[in-house]
Amino acid sequence: MAVAFSPEFVKSFNDPAATKVLATVDGEGIPHVVFKGSLHIDDSGHIVLLELSEYSETNRNLVRSIWFDHKVALNLRTSDNRSFHIVGKPERAIIAGPVFERYYQDIRARLGDVDLSTVWIIEPQSLVEKGKTAAAKANEGRLPLIHLDRIAAVSTAH
Amino acid sequence: MSTLLEAQVLSLKEVKANYPDVSPFVILKIDVQRRGVVYTEKAIAQVDPRRHLTQVRGIFSVDGEKNTSLPVSLLLRDGTTICVAPNAPGPHTPYQVDFREGRLVLVDGEDVLEEVEFFLRPDFYDQVTRRGTPMWQVAAMVRPQRIDFNPYGNCHFWDDGKGCRYCNVTAVYRKASRESGRSLKVHPEDVFDTISEAIKQPGRFAYIVLTGGSIPGADNRFSEEVDVYIETLQALGRAFSTPRFPSQLIASAFPTDELERLYNQTGLSSYTTDLEVLDEQKFAWICPGKHERVGYREWKQRLIRAVDIFGRGNVNTGFVAGAELAKPYGFATEEDALAATLATAEELASFGVETAQTVWRPSQGSAFHSQNSPSLEFHVRLARELYGLHQRYGLRSDMDDYRRCGNHPNTDLARI
Repeated sequence: MAVAFSPEFVKSFNDPAATKVLATVDGEGIPHVVFKGSLHIDDSGHIVLLELSEYSETNRNLVRSIWFDHKVALNLRTSDNRSFHIVGKPERAIIAGPVFERYYQDIRARLGDVDLSTVWIIEPQSLVEKGKTAAAKANEGRLPLIHLDRIAAVSTAH
Repeated sequence: MSTLLEAQVLSLKEVKANYPDVSPFVILKIDVQRRGVVYTEKAIAQVDPRRHLTQVRGIFSVDGEKNTSLPVSLLLRDGTTICVAPNAPGPHTPYQVDFREGRLVLVDGEDVLEEVEFFLRPDFYDQVTRRGTPMWQVAAMVRPQRIDFNPYGNCHFWDDGKGCRYCNVTAVYRKASRESGRSLKVHPEDVFDTISEAIKQPGRFAYIVLTGGSIPGADNRFSEEVDVYIETLQALGRAFSTPRFPSQLIASAFPTDELERLYNQTGLSSYTTDLEVLDEQKFAWICPGKHERVGYREWKQRLIRAVDIFGRGNVNTGFVAGAELAKPYGFATEEDALAATLATAEELASFGVETAQTVWRPSQGSAFHSQNSPSLEFHVRLARELYGLHQRYGLRSDMDDYRRCGNHPNTDLARI
């Protein structure tokens, strides 16, 4: 795997209070963005998505991605307001077997009479922290954008 | 090492390069089905008969009767199923399944192509019905999310030698009844016990499929065949809390009143009657019994009329893609075969009937056992064009898709 998550990061990612968003792309290149609370990192360090709907746009786009080797993106906002951008590739679509059945029972225990279409395993390829502090650090050494009215001397102001 | 046949056509790699808009997983699946598969010693060593599916007693194949440990079919990591009998002889060099670096993989020569998994044995398989029948012998086949029952094991189009020339149902039945005492019919109470046990495994099964041999009857009304399915479906229905349950019947082209009887007296949700060969002249040669006792045009009409009973999206037809090229009376070229097949498929699509492509591989026990099968490119073009019809006519493949069936490349493509 290209990215190995730290235990602290895994804890933040798996925190129920965190917000997670998944972006996929359709056949015409149109992005599709959804909040996905089921996203979590498993013990092997893989990102796991439980897709309940067989015919959702997300599910179709993920199939397209695994078929044609396209990437997907996730954004995590932690409970302490840090922001992370992850790029990954769908590696496996589990539709049957003991892993599927375990998650199937688990999701039904949590949400009631729902069904489970696919357990998606997403292989992370990059992890970058976003947000103001991270951006400032990333932009160190660059010429900052400052509109001149912002730094006008008081005597020249009308 | 490739055969002369293979040297004349595009390879897997070439087809993938030439058709970048078709899923490479589906292209690979088609080619594995065309060429067959053998298992290396290392792969066989990974088979655990307590976990993996190594026994089936279906109407088209019987595997593992004597506890041999060969896996029944394969699953790819994207959820695509490859239904392929192990070690079945054929005209092409088969793929290999090997075990390398801790993974089961599909190999072609020196190329490692994809990771694979074996089908898993369901929990109910070792159970026995109240009548004392092993449940694995009641369920004809299980796929990753589907359970099959074959209530009637013989096909009476073969009574006067006029069965379909690609089909081995009767040969399989006769051999199985001789060697392992397989009975002609499956008892409905055994079916009830088996499905009741099967659905105790949460998340294991999402669909039931019934199929069997044809019973035209002297009057060609298939009434006895309908009776068999009504009895079986009513037994199945007792296991469910809803009046209708996710299910498919693949059977003869019943007259409309018989089909209505079937629909009204059971909880069946979808119906397939296979046109098999989408050209009247070729149908007459390849399926002489069906043509003589029903006729190509009437078969097609019954299929179309079934939409009024089951609803759009709940009726389709399957065909044996490539059989129409069989010698000596099949189409001379793949182009001719494609044109004819797609013309009929489009006609059916206009009535809301999807056509499900099955990759023909000449079977042992069939009249066509020594034929060659068409190129990979033929099947890929066919799958792509059928998927195009699916999109243009707003068809639904749900009843026969990658999960509920997994044996049709064109409905695999409809996942997106």
